[in-house]
Formats: sequence, structure tokens, C-alpha cells
Amino acid sequence: MYGWCGKVLRVDLSLGKITSEPLDPKVARDYIGGRGFGIYHLRKEVDPTCDPLGPANKIIMAAGPLTGTAAPTGARYVVTTKSPLTGAITCSNSGGNFPAELKKSGHDALIIEGASVKPVYLWIDGNRAELRPAEHLWGKTTHATDDALRRETHAKAKTAVIGPAGEKQVLFAAIMNDRDRAAGRAGVGAVMGAKKLKAVVVRGEGEVALADPEAFKAANTNYRDAFKAKTKDNPPALRTHGTAITVVGTQSHGVFPTRNFQQGTFEGWESIYGETLTRKYLVRAKPCFSCPIACGRVTRIPDGPFKGEGEGPEYETVYSLGSDCGVDDLAALTKANYVCNELGLDTISMGSAIACAMELFEKGLLKEPEAGMPVRWGDGHALVALTRMTGMREGFGDILAEGSLRLATRYGRPELAMVAKGLDFAGYDPRGEQGMGLAYATSPIGGSHMRGDPAYFELLGVPVPADPHTWQDKPPLVAKWQDLFCVIDAAGLCVFFSVRYLVEQNLMVKPVGITELLNGATGAGYTPEEVETIGERIFNAERLFLLAAGFTRKDDSLPPRITKEPMPTGPAKGMVCKLEEMLAPYYRLRGWSAEGVPSEAKLGELGLL
Amino acid sequence: MKVHVNTFANLRDYAPAGKGSFELALADGASLADVFAALRIPATVQAVMLVNGRRADVATRLNGGDEVTLFPPMEGG
Repeated sequence: MYGWCGKVLRVDLSLGKITSEPLDPKVARDYIGGRGFGIYHLRKEVDPTCDPLGPANKIIMAAGPLTGTAAPTGARYVVTTKSPLTGAITCSNSGGNFPAELKKSGHDALIIEGASVKPVYLWIDGNRAELRPAEHLWGKTTHATDDALRRETHAKAKTAVIGPAGEKQVLFAAIMNDRDRAAGRAGVGAVMGAKKLKAVVVRGEGEVALADPEAFKAANTNYRDAFKAKTKDNPPALRTHGTAITVVGTQSHGVFPTRNFQQGTFEGWESIYGETLTRKYLVRAKPCFSCPIACGRVTRIPDGPFKGEGEGPEYETVYSLGSDCGVDDLAALTKANYVCNELGLDTISMGSAIACAMELFEKGLLKEPEAGMPVRWGDGHALVALTRMTGMREGFGDILAEGSLRLATRYGRPELAMVAKGLDFAGYDPRGEQGMGLAYATSPIGGSHMRGDPAYFELLGVPVPADPHTWQDKPPLVAKWQDLFCVIDAAGLCVFFSVRYLVEQNLMVKPVGITELLNGATGAGYTPEEVETIGERIFNAERLFLLAAGFTRKDDSLPPRITKEPMPTGPAKGMVCKLEEMLAPYYRLRGWSAEGVPSEAKLGELGLL
Repeated sequence: MKVHVNTFANLRDYAPAGKGSFELALADGASLADVFAALRIPATVQAVMLVNGRRADVATRLNGGDEVTLFPPMEGG
């Protein structure tokens, strides 16, 4: 096969057995890879009602056909499993160098099943794969684990590991690859911890074979040239300032979540946004494999109580550990980010849980003796301490480790958790961004922005702007973008390049460039329309898993703060999210019933019956 | 009339004395196009434009005291 390696590694941790399986060419063609392979295997092999932390759950780590190629941003892989945080599917996505290395080792995907009695790690050295004891690594941070593993395998090996948070099954533990890149959302690290799998280490020296190297090169050169031409007069803000520059877009539209979404403007935004990060702490920009943008941040806090160095913060972290907790101390939130990376925590859910605790404290429901400290808005020291305690499940951190929804429920106020389907929102308040509300509510994994991110057209002017305050136009746009993101995540690309250069530059975003690159790599001869249908297939397959896991229409919901409490400040003042008005037309145009169930006709059309 | 202008990232390069946030005097009835002309922002430079936190374009008419925000299109967060 071309583009695809044609090989899937199945790792049974209960039996300690590893088998190599051929990649089914029909599955490859119908699901592309990455997120597509994830849901294909999850639906086929995992009981949707299983205990996410039990041996019946599986972890599918899958790259796409463009991962590891020279395609711009061909760096991504997707971790699919049943989430212990939400009980829904999760398909968490990461870049860096580990995914490309997996392809170079000759594998498209890993299926990890069962559970080991003792800690182990998986070492893949090209064609050879073995499980090795990891008791000596258990308890180590992600960075210490990466150091140790590269010492005992190969200096150039790439790692995907869990830290203490994953071992202790913090429900929003991440899998960290290449030290500081995170498959972060919805607890994929906890599932790995429950299976006693400390790490996957991979080394590969092969190259991804291309079906039509000349056509691939021509398309690749064309899109890279387009990037160069555009950036000549428009230096990419993501390279100069990192994703934290996005604060400008959210704050100026009044949708920058502040103090647990109590308002959409943060008075301290200038202290924590991208240009301040560049000026104060940036060491250098860091790209993932084959990426011309380089949005990653290597940073250093030179002195003071939060002295340290590492990577981040990204925009979502600036929101979650910053404005959402009322923290305007960039050093404090950056330090908390470092702690998340080292212990292996999702920064979004970490910040959201602390923000929820701060609101409970403000309301007098959470008291100082239980928290072990005052948990006040804006307290950077409490932020860092609580983050560390959560990663280690110490003291009140053991309660935060269960996530914001269980925390708020414990104090009798579940509506104070800013979540959809139990997954914490990203850094966009849907009251001033109607499409984002629909995207959060209908995302198969819950409150993620990366399942069809309407912030592009609602806030950031990419590819062209749409009004963030109108809801009537959003159902078709959100559906279209959700399907597009399935394609991007299946192909192994990053959204950042794709939405600007690899799709038609209008709101309907036909994936023309993605199709060209896929065809050059795989020889599949896709049309853009076929590729769009694959996106729709993946999205509907994820919906089917969700419904089989017990979710219903009522779970396509948002907290009353978003749908009933008018935004108190800023340009979105007075607005609520019109979710109910959007849901009915959204279901209809998706070919779903009024209860949000895909019709037989739609499933037949997509080959999902 | 005077408007308040906030510029970010590379658009800050066109602000007077590199100060990202400033007052700008314009003729009555001016539009956002006049802001671009006053700041000498080349036509090849792309910008997302807001007036008082709402989406605008170069034809948008301005009133005294308006808050104008200009930032580059961004690939995401």
C-alpha cells in the first residue's frame, strides 16, 4: 500500500501478546486513517457500555496516510477510546514527532487491549515490538520517563507516555508525546494508566511510500508556496506569538471565558495574551514534524516563585488556567501548564475544575478546611498548588481529579460545571458565538472546540468571516465543519494549515487540497465529494457509538448559564446561546430524527448499516 | 472626530510610534477604509476588523468615540 503502511499492531496486555495484522484496504479507503480508524475499531471491538477503566476498553492510536509524509503539518495521530471522564467516545489528537515516527516504523495504528498486571511499556523498533517491564518508571514524571526510555531504547526514539496523573487515573489525564505535546482531552491517559501501560516508545527508519510521488510533490509545493506567498506580507501570528494571540479575537468579541464563564471579558487579558508571552518568556518557536507554521512555544520563567522552563502556554491554557480562574499572572499560569505537562494532565479540564472550585468557594459551598487552602479567584499560588495536588491525587486534589462535573455535583450544583456531555468547554463562550454552542453540544466527545471549530469563521476571519451573533445560519455551517474536521483528523493533518490552504476559501470549505495530497500519497483516486462523505461517515459512526453508550438528545445540551443567563458584559452583552432553536434544523439536515438518531436512510447512504 | 484604535500582532507595525492602542483623528463621516489609509496599511495585508466588538468591513462608517480593533486572520487557538 502507499500512504498507508498496511500494518496494524495489536497489543494484548492481558496476555502479553503482540500480533501484526494487515490493514484492510477497504477500511483504509472508507475511513482514511487516524480518527476514522479509531471509530471503526472502537465500534467493531468495544462494548459501548463497558467500564472505560476496565480491561474491556481499548485504546486505538492511529496515524493518517499523510502522517510522516512531507505534506504540510503531516504530523498528527489520534487516540480513540471510551472516556472515563464522560462515558462517551473520545478521540484525542496530537502532533509533535511521535506520530510520524510510528509511520516510519511501518505501522498505521496500534490497538491496545486488555490490561497488564504489572506496569509495562511497549517498545517498537521498526518491525520488532516487545512489552518490557516498567516498574522502575512508575511514578516518574513525563519528562523523566522520556529521558529514561530514550536511554534504555534508542537516543532518537520517540515516546508517548503517561505521568503520575495517568497512573493514578485522574479522569482527565493526558498522554504526552515528545515530552510536551498532549493527546489531552477526556482522560485517554487514565485509560492507559488503568491498563498499566506507562509508555509507547517507537523508532523507525523507513519512509512512507507514495503512490504518485510527482503528483504529491506538485501539490505539496503548490500549497507550501501559497503559504509563503501569503505570509510574505502577513507574518503568521501563530508563529510570532503562538496560539495565545487568539485572546485578541475572543476578548475583543467578548467571548473570553472569565471566572467560570461568569463573563466574557477579562480585565487582565493584556497580562496573559500572546504578545506579552512573546515579550516576557518566549525562548523560541517550535514546530511539529513537517510544519511550516511553528506555533509551539518553548518558554522560560527566569526567576520568581514560578521559575521554570518548558513548553506552553497555548491559547486554551491561557483561558483555562488564566481568565477562567481570574488569574492575570502569566508566570503562575505558565508554571501550572508546566506542572500539567510533567504530571500528564489536560490543561483545559484542569483549569475548568479549578475555576469551578473557585466559584463554589466564592458561593460559600466549598470551605477552606476541605480545600486545604483558600481557593480565591486570581490566586496564582493556589492555582499551581491545586494543579500539582490533582496530578498526584493528594488532599483536595483527589476530588478535583474527578473533574468539574463530579465536583459541582458533590456540592449540589452540577449546573456550575461548564461542560457538554461532561467534557469541559474550550476557551469560547457560546453566548457571543452561537455556532460554538451548537458545536459544543453536538460534538461526539463533548465540549471540545476541535470538532468543527466555528471560532474560525465566527471570530478569526478564516477562511472568511460570519456573524458570531446570528444562529439561523449556523446549523449547516457547523455540520459541514464537523465533517471537515473528521477528514483533517483522519488524514493526519493539523487544522491550522488545512483550513487556510487545503480547503476552498469559503464557508463550505470543500477539501480540495486535502484530496490532492491524499491521492498523491495513497493513489486512492478520491474526489473531494467522496472525502466529504468519509468525514460524514466518521461523524455519524461516532454518533452511533455515543447513542449505544446511553447518550440521548438531552445530552446535546449546555449549562443554563449559557442558554438562560444573559452575558453581563462586553460586545455580547445581553445574549444567550440559542441552542434549542439550532438543534432541530441541525438534526434535520444531518438526516437524524427529532431525537438525534441517524435515520436508516442516512446510515445506508454512509455504509454504516 | 476621534476614534480609538487597537492594533495587534503584525498590524501593530502600522501604529504610530509602535504603540498598539491609540487615538486617531478622522474627518466626520470617515469609514474603516480611512483608518487603513491613515495608517498606511498596504492592501496586501489582511485584517479582521471590529467596531465596538462587532464585525465590520472597510466600508463601515465610523462615529466619534468608536472602538476600532484590527488583528490578522488567525489559523486558530
